[in-house]
Amino acid sequence: MSLLEARGLAIGYRGRRVGGDIDLCVATGEVLCLLGPNGGGKTTLFRTLLGVLPPLAGVVTIAGRPLRDWSRLELARQIGYVPQAHAGLFAFTVEDVALMGRTARMGRFSSPSPQDRAAVGVALARLGIAHLAGRIYTEISGGERQLVLIARALAQEAKMLILDEPTASLDFGNQLRVLGEIERLKRDGIAILMSTHQPEHAFKVADRLALLKTGQIVAQGMARATATPERLAVLYEADVAAVAACLPATRGKP
Amino acid sequence: MRLFFLPDRFVLMAVFTLTALLAAFAFGPYPLSPGDVLRALRAGPWAENDTAVVVWNLRLPRIAAGFLIGAALSAAGAAYQGMFRNPLVSPDILGVSAGAGLGAALAILMGFSLLWVQGLAFCGGLLAVGTVYFVAGLVRRHDPVLVLVLAGVAVGTLFSAGISLAKVLADPSVQLPSITFWLLGGLNAVTTGDLALAAPLVVAGLLPMLLLRWRVNLLSLSDEEAAALGVNVSRLRATLIVCATLMTAAAVAVAGIVGWVGLVVPHAARLLVGPEFSRLLPAVLLLGGGFVIAADTLARSATAIELPLGILTALVGAPVFLVLLARSGRTT
Amino acid sequence: MNRRVFLANLAALPWATCFAESTVPRKFFVFGQLPPPGRIRRVFAAGAPAAVLAYVLVPDKLMGWPWPLSDEARALLARGQRDLPMLGRLAGRGSTLPLERLVALKPDLIIDAGTVDETYFSLAERVARETRIPYVLVDGRLADSPRQLRDCGGLLGAAERGERLARFAESTLLSCRDVRPQGRPKVYLARGADGLETPLPGSVNGECIEAACGVNAAPPSGVGGLARVSPEQVLAWAPDVIVTQYPEFHARAREDAFWKRLPAVRNGRLHLVPSQPFGWLDGPPGVNRLIGVRWLASRLHGHDDGIDWVGQARDFHRLFYGHAPEQDQLARLLAGV
Repeated sequence: MSLLEARGLAIGYRGRRVGGDIDLCVATGEVLCLLGPNGGGKTTLFRTLLGVLPPLAGVVTIAGRPLRDWSRLELARQIGYVPQAHAGLFAFTVEDVALMGRTARMGRFSSPSPQDRAAVGVALARLGIAHLAGRIYTEISGGERQLVLIARALAQEAKMLILDEPTASLDFGNQLRVLGEIERLKRDGIAILMSTHQPEHAFKVADRLALLKTGQIVAQGMARATATPERLAVLYEADVAAVAACLPATRGKP
Repeated sequence: MRLFFLPDRFVLMAVFTLTALLAAFAFGPYPLSPGDVLRALRAGPWAENDTAVVVWNLRLPRIAAGFLIGAALSAAGAAYQGMFRNPLVSPDILGVSAGAGLGAALAILMGFSLLWVQGLAFCGGLLAVGTVYFVAGLVRRHDPVLVLVLAGVAVGTLFSAGISLAKVLADPSVQLPSITFWLLGGLNAVTTGDLALAAPLVVAGLLPMLLLRWRVNLLSLSDEEAAALGVNVSRLRATLIVCATLMTAAAVAVAGIVGWVGLVVPHAARLLVGPEFSRLLPAVLLLGGGFVIAADTLARSATAIELPLGILTALVGAPVFLVLLARSGRTT
Repeated sequence: MNRRVFLANLAALPWATCFAESTVPRKFFVFGQLPPPGRIRRVFAAGAPAAVLAYVLVPDKLMGWPWPLSDEARALLARGQRDLPMLGRLAGRGSTLPLERLVALKPDLIIDAGTVDETYFSLAERVARETRIPYVLVDGRLADSPRQLRDCGGLLGAAERGERLARFAESTLLSCRDVRPQGRPKVYLARGADGLETPLPGSVNGECIEAACGVNAAPPSGVGGLARVSPEQVLAWAPDVIVTQYPEFHARAREDAFWKRLPAVRNGRLHLVPSQPFGWLDGPPGVNRLIGVRWLASRLHGHDDGIDWVGQARDFHRLFYGHAPEQDQLARLLAGV
């Protein structure tokens, strides 16, 4: 069953349309990867799917219910969001940042309970950063911050995660750790929508791919079949041979 | 509950505030020994002598008002700094002080009574913030936080121009000094009646802040992040703006414009207990109250003639702020 | 050197910034070419004290008021000056009248009375130079009122009237000179609606206290000016007498528990004085204070009994303001209604 579904979606701001005719769906236990150049409308699409930006046309349904019928709190129990690692402004501890993921699981007027702290401990441990819990978020490295934000989304215990270039600021080891974690989440039945600039990462974890350019989905389907060197070359306005040379060997994926 | 657990830094702050409180009772232009003060406190407020009047009718309301105003301005400052994601924001970022100043200046210009001066100051503060919020709501395409701050600057400037106009129109030997003194701020005229008016407003603003203490943290994230974590960002922000405005306007209506408190105290508190709002809030209440009580004690006992409190908080606040900034070496 | 020569000399010195007989401390200063008294028909007052000074000496030549006069104040003035327009004041950056407008008004003379210091010298000098309108700056101290009235009377072509008013001023200022220093009561001059603004000793706003041979209850601070004080300070200063021009404060002080405790209030020595058309004690700090000094001196030194203040006020209004208000009008004024 598809957890998130968008039909005929037009995205943009009042007076400035960014894209349209977008059809998307993500099912439980599925990873949909979004590929496309910068400025292609990924961020606007995410903002619309998160309900921060109203759609200009079309509908988004979450678990069969229109997006606009969900309250923020209920929605946060369905969908978690992992932004690109940001610098952060105030010197929150890593634990505090991750605890913010528990907000949707607390009463409106509550502070984190011991259970919330335990859940955060588990999430941090799962990403191998339990030792950072007491550190100041603004003082750790960019890669570590990205892991903390993923841990925050895990602590949220949502049914679906939207990840905005989760591997962009990570070193190689942490990239593998994050991709591995995404595969594990998928096995746990979490629906995942992520964007990336690295097709090989998409090949590694994605069930399906969608190519987004100037606000249009230009192709969508099974990973290997969709992201052909020809299509990628058009997508990124690059040379086909150069693209092909960079892609991993076709038999790499089981 | 985490809000009420007391690690030793809270003990430290409590000691500071308590010391300021005791000093405030002990010092003042009317010569009283600490023994006199203690005796008067023990004898109760009904004793018919000057000592009792000084301690119970003059110093006590003033100290209480100092605490109330310091706590209110600091809490509003802490909330605003978090919500505007900017540690340099003070409670008058949305034009409260300029609006209140204009209200008071107009009331003085018209020769209205004291109650009207306070009432118009309070309403002016609300009006300024209301205008800012309304204008910001008309702008949709930009970051709402940035729009609010810019609208605040614009409306603040507009109301300040109104104050200047009122000063120009004022009788220079009669009304102008009153307006100037009002704008400088001070607690010298505070009465129990003022407290009775301001305290409920401050509490009304503080209560939602206490209840929403955890969620306030999330406003320091970007809007979509906070929204994705389950917060109705615009509603929470509006609630906090109403709360902070209520507290600031009430404080300004009673004490005039007392600057720097709402900027410096949250900074100092964040260095002590971190930015997490459920720990920060009790810390700013304690520190802010203590700071204004201490500054006011200095204001009324350092020189033969009282120094305006607003000048003193700036004199103390600005260097403290610079020291904190230099010593912290990180963004707090 | 008689005054005519004195003035002639002044007039001969273009842009003179300082001129004085060595024996006479400088008390008034002329910038620009001073026209002969007969040729001065339009006088612009740069500030409120100067406006009062010009009004009492040469009402017909006063062009307008530098600040907005209330309707009550206007009703108490001579008919010819009641409806004079509000023109604005000259005070450097605090000016409310652009110099261009000043030139367009074509005054024959600008007169300013009040503080005399480098700031005001430079202001006067600049205005005179830029507008080519002669500018007279007069030291506005209350103790100097007789001289102000005489000098400016001569200057503006009303020497005789100036002399008469100066005599009144002299007799007023001498009325309490035999009071010994230890017999001088402490006076708290309460300003503002809450009564907690007060002039410090040495301030131009509190001169009437010293002139009436009282002692300012506020301690000397060295700077003068106005200060905001607290009830605790007033209690500590224990003034013998409290005077105010603010009806709101007067009413409040008689009701409020704190003020009622003060000996001055308990002993019936809290007094309200008129603030219209010009304040008796201050506001503006001009020759309008002379009546207030008379009144305060008699209050302070206990020879008040039997004085008909309505009559006194009427005489003062007739002599200075050229208009004697009705008996009941003045009675209301004195009662602060």
